[in-house]
Amino acid sequence: MGKLISATLTRAVLALLIVLALGPILWTVLGAFKELRDIVTPVPKLVFTPTLDNFATILRNPTIRDGLLHSVIVVSAAVLIGAVLGIPAAHTLARHARKWGDDVQFFVLSLRFMPPVAIAIPFIVIYLDLGIYDTLFGLVLVYLIVTVSTVIWLAVPAFERVPRDIEEAAAMEGCGPAEIFWRFSLPVAAPSLFGALVFTFVLVWNELLLALTLAAQNATLPVVAASITSLGKEVPWGVINAATVLLVLPPLVFIGLLMGLLNTMVRSGPK
Amino acid sequence: MTRKRFVTLTLVPAIGLLATLALVSIAGAVWFAVMNRTLRSPDYDFVGAYNFLRLLRDRRFFNALEISAVWEAVTVIGTLALAVVLAVLIFETVKKPLTRNLICFAFLVPVLLPRVAAAFIWRFLYSPSLGVINYLCGLVGIGPVEFLADPSLALISVAVVDIWQWGLFFTVILLKLMETLPRDPIEAAMLDNARTWEIHAYVTLPMLKGPLISLALVKAVESLRSFDLIFVMTGGGPGTATETLDLYAYQMGINMGGRISYASAMSLLLLVVTTVAFTIIWKAGKKWAS
Repeated sequence: MGKLISATLTRAVLALLIVLALGPILWTVLGAFKELRDIVTPVPKLVFTPTLDNFATILRNPTIRDGLLHSVIVVSAAVLIGAVLGIPAAHTLARHARKWGDDVQFFVLSLRFMPPVAIAIPFIVIYLDLGIYDTLFGLVLVYLIVTVSTVIWLAVPAFERVPRDIEEAAAMEGCGPAEIFWRFSLPVAAPSLFGALVFTFVLVWNELLLALTLAAQNATLPVVAASITSLGKEVPWGVINAATVLLVLPPLVFIGLLMGLLNTMVRSGPK
Repeated sequence: MTRKRFVTLTLVPAIGLLATLALVSIAGAVWFAVMNRTLRSPDYDFVGAYNFLRLLRDRRFFNALEISAVWEAVTVIGTLALAVVLAVLIFETVKKPLTRNLICFAFLVPVLLPRVAAAFIWRFLYSPSLGVINYLCGLVGIGPVEFLADPSLALISVAVVDIWQWGLFFTVILLKLMETLPRDPIEAAMLDNARTWEIHAYVTLPMLKGPLISLALVKAVESLRSFDLIFVMTGGGPGTATETLDLYAYQMGINMGGRISYASAMSLLLLVVTTVAFTIIWKAGKKWAS
């Protein structure tokens, strides 16, 4: 009997935990499909007539559409350039640098310690003087600090896990270092590298401060979303919820990948 | 292609770019910190240590420093405590791999949310007039509670969101790490009739000392990037109750009259303190963990 009670209690606690993790998000998703009068009720409503008005409002709003477009351009350019520059560098750090490799890696990691304000404040003046303030190019440029350093940081362990035998055998066959990297190490490390790129994508997709300071008209989606607090007299909670859902969707697509990345990292020994 | 050329070709563009950008921003911050540059006018003069001396007399700056320190402590400790408790709880009660994986998936969702989105989700929940939390508070006879407008509650209310995102994420990591631990020491402790909590407090968690230190460091670095969450949820208010250093620097440098030089001095101080602190902690943590 006691066992039965404790088993039920455990289940209740676990169910509560899942509600705590997902409930806030689901509530927002529900809110995105509600009309304002279903949101502004003293007792929260679970049953209501769903509407697509909120999504129609945000997709018709030119500022939000532009924000979405800018986000896609800036984030994909920054991640792509980050990958092209960072992945070969990570391979070299993992395989060809013994003495000074640790110092370079520490430098790369120390960039992650840098408070973003310390980048944003000087860059705003430099950008104004150079005339690249409020341009997509300028945003991509600062985001490269984030993407290149994160790609290197996550790709070095991925290349370290590639079995050395493969590379040594290729070297015996007379392959040069570039060929070994391109034809052997890269395909073997590809799954982990993909995870690293996804993580980098999520980081810059979610970024607010740099975009907020270095752009005005050409801002990204988080900035636009952060600025919708009053589109009319009342706080447009339905619209805000819909914008939140739009912002949340891209990172969530990759949740399975994040899980896989965690599994391989834990198995290969935490650092 | 020789090895040397390959090394140069791969490393120089990436590291060169990072070094240039880092150098430009640090040199820029130093340069502007000793000037009196504002966003309003393009002219500026050398003023020496004036900005730094003014910081020492700025009450709002010390308030921001204090809030930042409290924020770091609350979020790092809260995240790790929640993760340890939940990881042990799930490790002990959920044995089925499928259920465990489902819980892990649910726990990974919050950390993937953009900070701006998480901030809006919780502002909606905290809302005094239409929020679910205040509805629940009303059911037990409390409220309505002004979670974000009450100076004594605002910082904690925002910290809860941060701990919600990161504590659940760290729970998954800890759980995965516990699964990789060798069973022998745990079984030996069970033979000695150790209680469940004793096994974890004296056997499993000490075995995870290294990863726990790394996680604390990761969270400490991450907590410095709290700008997005606080900016959307409270904007530093009410008053200056949730104004951390990065928010104050942003307000000074961009929002209120654009006093770039003053903000530069502040962000430079922040940069030096965090770099020194984390370099020391990083090296000490590496030594201690090994």
